[in-house]
Amino acid sequence: MCNKPLQWVMMFLLACSLLAPPVSQSAWAADKKSPAKAEAPMKLKVGDMAPNFTLLAFDGHDLKKVSLSDFRGKKDVVLAFYVFAFTGG
Amino acid sequence: MKAFQSNLSKLEGADTQVLGVSMDSPFSNFAFAQQNGVTFPLLGDFGGKVTREYGLAKNYDIEGVSLESARRATFLIDKSGKITHEQVDNEAVDPTKTVDACVRPKMKS
Repeated sequence: MCNKPLQWVMMFLLACSLLAPPVSQSAWAADKKSPAKAEAPMKLKVGDMAPNFTLLAFDGHDLKKVSLSDFRGKKDVVLAFYVFAFTGG
Repeated sequence: MKAFQSNLSKLEGADTQVLGVSMDSPFSNFAFAQQNGVTFPLLGDFGGKVTREYGLAKNYDIEGVSLESARRATFLIDKSGKITHEQVDNEAVDPTKTVDACVRPKMKS
């Protein structure tokens, strides 16, 4: 009879311990996503061959084909993928 | 792309060709290049074939509309076609590491 409040406290603590981990885990996961780190592993790794491609570039007059293989044996290539034109960066 | 443009003389001095790629049309990329003073080619991967081949296609949720586009990523590819350096997502915003990686070996030799 006199330990009923104690039972409530125990149940409260138990409920807290059951609820708390997922909450703190998700907060931690969200925190881990925000810093400047890769979001998912890369398909292509350092040491892999870069897949060849042919794409079009417009120079104001003509569409020109540009292939990665154009530079094979001639130049190093910095290939920079960006999200969308006009979005900064 | 502006960041690469401001490092362009360094990169070209290191015998490196800079190519930008996005899932825009070549025409919008040309307008984008003009607006930002970008002088290296910006290639249009409209359709996303190359972006998917490089494993960079990602679904963006913009105002509840799902759009597929590329993750931001920079690859340094040597003359044999091998990837020697890569940066992805937020770490690819600042190209300093890529520029250093490409200029450094030249200075040693």
